[in-house]
Amino acid sequence: MTRFVAGRLGQMVVVLFAVSVLTFLIFNVIPNGDPASRMAGKSPTETQVEAIRAEWGFDEPLPVQYLRTMEQVLGGQAISYFTQLNVRDEILRGLPRTLALAVGAAILWMAFGIALGLLGALRAGRLSDRLLTFAALAGVSLPVFWLGAILSHFLGYEWGLFPNGGYVPFAEDPLDWAYHLVLPCATLAVLFTGFYSRLVRSNVLDTMGEDFVRTARAKGLSERRVLLAHVLRNSLIPVVTLWGLDFGAVVAGGAILTETVFDIQGVGQYAAESVGQLDVPPVLAVTLFGAFFIVVLNTAVDIAYALLDPRIRVGER
Amino acid sequence: MTVKSSYPTALALALAALLAVGCGSSGSDDDGGGASAGQQGGAITIAQGSQPDALDPALAYTSNSWEPLWLVYTAPLTYKRAEGTEGAELIPGVATDLPEISEDGRTYTFTIRDGLEYSDGTPVKASDFEHAIKRVLNLESGGTYLFEGIEGATEYIEAGDPEGDIAGIEADDATGEVTVRLTAADGSFSNVLATSFAGLVPSSTPFRNMTEDPPPGVGPYAITESVPNRQFVMEKVDGFDIPGIPAGNLDTITTEIVKSPARAAQDVIDGRLDYMQDPPPTDLAAEIREAHADRYKEWPTLSVNYFFLNQSLPPFDDEKVREAVNVGLDSTAIARILGGRLSGSCNIVPDGIPGHSERECPFGDPDGPGDVEAAKKLIEEAGATGEKVTVWANNDATRPEIGQYYTGLLDEIGLDADLKVIDGAIYFDTIGNVKTRAQTGLANWYADFPHPATFLQQVDGTAIQPTANGNYGMVDDPEINEEIAELLTETDLPSVADRWEALDERVIDRSYIAPYGSEELTTFLSDRMDFENCSLVHPLYGNDYSSFCLK
Amino acid sequence: MGQSPWRLALRRLRRDRIALAFGALFVVLALLALAAPLWADVAGRGPNATNETGTIDVGGEQVDVVSLDGVPIGPQWRGEYFLGADANGRDVMVRLLYGARNSLLIGIAAALLTTLLATLVGLLAGFYGRWVDAVARSALDVIWAFPVVLLGVALGTALALGGLTVGPIDLAAGSIAISIAVIAVVYVPYMARPIRGEVLALRERDFVAAARAQGASATRTMAGELLPNLAPTIVVLAPLMVANAILLEAALSFLGVGVVPPDPSWGNMIDAGVERLVTAPHLAIAPGLMLVLSVLALNVFGDGVRDALDRRGGAAWEAERP
Repeated sequence: MTRFVAGRLGQMVVVLFAVSVLTFLIFNVIPNGDPASRMAGKSPTETQVEAIRAEWGFDEPLPVQYLRTMEQVLGGQAISYFTQLNVRDEILRGLPRTLALAVGAAILWMAFGIALGLLGALRAGRLSDRLLTFAALAGVSLPVFWLGAILSHFLGYEWGLFPNGGYVPFAEDPLDWAYHLVLPCATLAVLFTGFYSRLVRSNVLDTMGEDFVRTARAKGLSERRVLLAHVLRNSLIPVVTLWGLDFGAVVAGGAILTETVFDIQGVGQYAAESVGQLDVPPVLAVTLFGAFFIVVLNTAVDIAYALLDPRIRVGER
Repeated sequence: MTVKSSYPTALALALAALLAVGCGSSGSDDDGGGASAGQQGGAITIAQGSQPDALDPALAYTSNSWEPLWLVYTAPLTYKRAEGTEGAELIPGVATDLPEISEDGRTYTFTIRDGLEYSDGTPVKASDFEHAIKRVLNLESGGTYLFEGIEGATEYIEAGDPEGDIAGIEADDATGEVTVRLTAADGSFSNVLATSFAGLVPSSTPFRNMTEDPPPGVGPYAITESVPNRQFVMEKVDGFDIPGIPAGNLDTITTEIVKSPARAAQDVIDGRLDYMQDPPPTDLAAEIREAHADRYKEWPTLSVNYFFLNQSLPPFDDEKVREAVNVGLDSTAIARILGGRLSGSCNIVPDGIPGHSERECPFGDPDGPGDVEAAKKLIEEAGATGEKVTVWANNDATRPEIGQYYTGLLDEIGLDADLKVIDGAIYFDTIGNVKTRAQTGLANWYADFPHPATFLQQVDGTAIQPTANGNYGMVDDPEINEEIAELLTETDLPSVADRWEALDERVIDRSYIAPYGSEELTTFLSDRMDFENCSLVHPLYGNDYSSFCLK
Repeated sequence: MGQSPWRLALRRLRRDRIALAFGALFVVLALLALAAPLWADVAGRGPNATNETGTIDVGGEQVDVVSLDGVPIGPQWRGEYFLGADANGRDVMVRLLYGARNSLLIGIAAALLTTLLATLVGLLAGFYGRWVDAVARSALDVIWAFPVVLLGVALGTALALGGLTVGPIDLAAGSIAISIAVIAVVYVPYMARPIRGEVLALRERDFVAAARAQGASATRTMAGELLPNLAPTIVVLAPLMVANAILLEAALSFLGVGVVPPDPSWGNMIDAGVERLVTAPHLAIAPGLMLVLSVLALNVFGDGVRDALDRRGGAAWEAERP
């Protein structure tokens, strides 16, 4: 077991290393991406550009540049080429916003996912179940950025029911904070709700056919009791696992579009802007930050499953 | 300033008359004292569309930063707080008088006012001026080129020691006298002494970007809080007193970074914000013009918007092809994309700057449609029909649409055009890299100061460099280069205005660039602001926050 | 699975009216995209023909296509400007149909490429195991570790400037080949993982062992024994991959790194349209509805296929995760 855990952890480090190298390469093989002249600002002289190039080491071999950049990123010392601001500070400023959005959305999609999925399972095969399935498919088919823009415009601007985007810090005004988060969270949750409701439905249906449920029923437990104590509890375990993974993915960058559309200015929006500006240090930092979330959670799940089910250790999943 | 959002008013007489409505009591009647008529006190929240490039006078070089920093860091000289041509007049700032210029035009002498204090109470010393310039040079600021004419400036940069000495600057803290020696006469150096770069900061200010903790300055306002990408707060400085520079009406001005212009505009309409720096998006322009005319105005800028045409690459190495672009160009089409915020023009030097040409445009009325048929014929004559062209544009508001108009036009006159849209943050750097071999695309220039040189730099062949090149079209006409060099040494601008004008005309006659006009910018205030009496628009620095007041 | 299960599935699918209807809807949308030039004829202008200063006849009066304030004309519900104009005075309906070509072409091509790559990787990794599997899994893990949209945008931005030439493959800057390649790569793990899992399970089954015992080569075993058994999984996943690819293409274009204007795609039309929701809501709504319809059609049809092949749950879920 220790070996398995150690192996997975080692793999995790390798993956993160590969992610960082890849990201660095993506932005260093582009022609004309000369950060020195970009940093020199408006109408610089050639000597100035040369000075920056030397000072930041853009004339050094790529591996050296990579190592230095990584050292800065991991040490929290990375500076954006474009804004000259500390990247870690920027990420920390955006993180509460991204977390608020992700937590709100995750609660919404889990609650609605379970409720609708359970409803569908109980009414399996009937018209209401089919309608729910269709609604779930429709939810999965809605592009987040379009839905967000349309909702923000009509519910926000035209009808004035919600703010038209933006973010208010919790410390400033908790009510306004929540009010500003309703639409973005709902928009982000729609897609996941569609997916989760179908997952819950199918898991519940599977579980209902299992022996222990039949036994429970045979023992004369009330249908309600059977449903809550046995079916739901057992069918939700994989759902909750997935929930953790998806939450990580959303924090890691899954909310880029939602943040951009609603101008939340979280980590995702920061990433999107930095990418457009070919600003390597922030892109590297945010990508690693995101990859870290995804990889750690995935590894944790793998290890947890391995602990629960020894067969996995040999056979893999 | 090349940047996405910048300003300056144009000063044509007709326009000045038009703007007089907006002037109200501010600026035009009292002697430079500006808008002190308004109600005192209060706090407002305003919006910028992106984090300013720097909240540090040594580094700031966009309108996003110049607009607020102008009120925080006063330079030795400054401009009269007035609209129109009047606002282009130099007045003493932290200096007691305009500088004395030696006979050969190479030595500037001025005296720092006695008893001045920074916003934190530190006394102002003459040597602080040298420190401010050192910061510009040492921090590799975009403003470096303005000060490279100072004796010893290049040596100072090359030595790389921030504490080193700039031989050409002498400052006497006892008398407050400052002497600046130039390597050659520079007719625009007085203007350079009025840029934000020359804004004084204490000699203790470190040699690094101070955006997160802006240093104190001399001015009606001080930046008391700065959270990058979120907001910064300016508070009125008690006891600020320099004649000719108004002390400001509002106590606190909080600038929030609001990245969606639509939201900013909606919030100004509803009163959640009191002012937005960017123009409202085209989508809301019509509504605002109609329903909120009592708190909205548009004003022309000291700027030129143009398409650069790279002379070093086919097909634009052929004058006929370049002419075809000018002939076919329809600035009324672009005006519609900008929601009407464009004054058409066929000059590189805009109206309001000495050296602006008043002649009739050689390629047809700039406010009328282009002649596509004639343009097509020119392309045919040049044998360039079907030639591949890549058009470059940035992704700031309306720019992709202008790029698509231009791509469509080039297709229509017989070329085969593709469009490339890249992020505004890396745009000028990319097209300014000679290796990019950018054939043509969008460019603009906003006046750093009211001098034609700041515009003709764009076509100065001696300024071409491999990276960070500002002469995007690679224009290299010996006659133009020599004439610019010669005219630059002349300190009496009006005496050579007609020669600058001839230069401007030559640039257009040879179709070195394809200008389509100056973009108009806007003042849009909330309902609770006193729009009528308290909204001064300065030709170079845009909306003057010190004129703002509540109703 | 031999012949009869396929026939059974087909019979089941034929009974699923809803799935068939939505499958047909997607075919109709694809046909509309093919017919774009015909509509351009009716409208009298191509997808990229700008017309900022033009006028059209509306009820006997000449009306600006784009007003002096920059407001484009709304839907006319006739040949010319059926769905109105955009900020450059172009015909939105014509662009919508040409945009459909780009969006659907990229979606389908990317999904095919993903399927090809994923099947190959999944097969090899699952079949050979050991170091092949280790390498493949690491590669998939690396791609998986990137946030999807972020990776897409990063690759798209980097390639948009200079393009990329790797051996015989030449991705010219600004071509839709870039979008196809980027989207295909991003989604490979989402499909390769379930396929690999399936191969692992199949490898242990008797018929594979039997084939190996009879001396069948590795290639033969994979092509002859494993592939046919993977087919149902691939068939179930394929429509979902197309739907995902169309959505990702739109997202990338929305963020400015997909199809390069003036060429239209639904994503870049929405991108331009959201700037004009007050005065010209048709600019964002029309391409958005097309996008939703086509993706929904694929998802409902794909759901029907999954039911018909009796693949509820399991591997398919993983690929569908947003």
